Amino acid sequence: MEAPDEELMLAYRGGDAGAFETLYKRHRGGLYRFVLRAIKQRSSAEELFQEVWIRVIEARNRYAPQARFTTWLYTIAHNLLVDHWRRKGLSLVQLDEEPAVAAPDNPARQAEARETLARLVHAIEALPAAQREAFLLHEEGGLSVAEIAAVTGAGEEAAKSRLRYAMAKLKAAVDEN
Amino acid sequence: MTDDPKISQRYRELPREEPPRHVDEAILAAARRAVVSRPAPLVVPSGRRRWYFPLAAAAIIVLAVAVTIHVERQELDAEVFEAVTSPKAPPEEKVAQPERPAEPASPRVFAPDPKPQRQVEPPAPQAEQSRQQAPAAVPQAKPEASKREALMREEARARASREPDTVSGALGARLSSTYASPEQWLQGIADLRRQGRHDEADKALAEFRRTYPDYKISEAMLEKVEKK
Repeated sequence: MEAPDEELMLAYRGGDAGAFETLYKRHRGGLYRFVLRAIKQRSSAEELFQEVWIRVIEARNRYAPQARFTTWLYTIAHNLLVDHWRRKGLSLVQLDEEPAVAAPDNPARQAEARETLARLVHAIEALPAAQREAFLLHEEGGLSVAEIAAVTGAGEEAAKSRLRYAMAKLKAAVDEN
Repeated sequence: MTDDPKISQRYRELPREEPPRHVDEAILAAARRAVVSRPAPLVVPSGRRRWYFPLAAAAIIVLAVAVTIHVERQELDAEVFEAVTSPKAPPEEKVAQPERPAEPASPRVFAPDPKPQRQVEPPAPQAEQSRQQAPAAVPQAKPEASKREALMREEARARASREPDTVSGALGARLSSTYASPEQWLQGIADLRRQGRHDEADKALAEFRRTYPDYKISEAMLEKVEKK
């Protein structure tokens, strides 16, 4: 039976570097895709992804398993994403309302978008940042609505609504055919 | 409708991007370095081993005291020998040295039990000895330093420059102990910002974020602590 994340993090706090490696391997893919699809720029995503883990390393002595490790990890990622967006002059709250990217109206891209997965990718990119984040936290982090609320600092109702809107838009995009 | 298996399934069909290898290596190297620089955790002694540590500590103390006494005696012997054998030293000269009252006349020097006040004085030869030993520690540190440099170079491929973890950790610990809570720390940063001490505020804010990476700073507080 695999050791739970929280146990591994405590072991790392106690000096066990191998525990960190196991933890890292478990979450690297999901966290990377979460960051990459949230900011859509590979170089910035790599930098931010690395920064999240550096923060985990630096804050190891403060870690206390009050919630799931995943919630803690994605909260750190969320905080860094917010900083990133603020530096770019964007606000998560404003982007909550209207799509940041318009749906493709170019005929060539429309044709390309007939592929279901391509449409899904476009639809994810077209989601407002907060809805996209909620969706990615759910899919990549495996977080529940309550955990998404905890990570983003939004109320549970707001988190639920973001996820619901995201799902509805993505479903509409996939079902277009 | 917060869960849709169809969407989840479609999403799983998308390419599963993974972080590049050099990023993995840099992160794992940083993680290892962070714990390697820490002293190994002490094993809690139990049973028969419980008395090992006090015994070892007592032995070290006894040894240190014995060495100190021995060194002092050797020094005194040398001084007395010099005083006795020196043909130039007239007897009046010895009398005219009031700054050395602790050193008695020759018969008392050879007493088996030296005066306690001499024992508590810092022995000069020991200090000299430790100064002489200091350079010897440098070659031992070299392989460790080169190992650390190699790891740092590895990390630098992805991150241009960064303060060492131990340094920032120490600063974070110092700052976090200065303030009773994260809120007070933030208020301190806001005060620095208000006073126009932006460099200090920037450093403190960066340190705050390292120390409390999961802390959510409210919009109102962000307005106060962030540079405009």
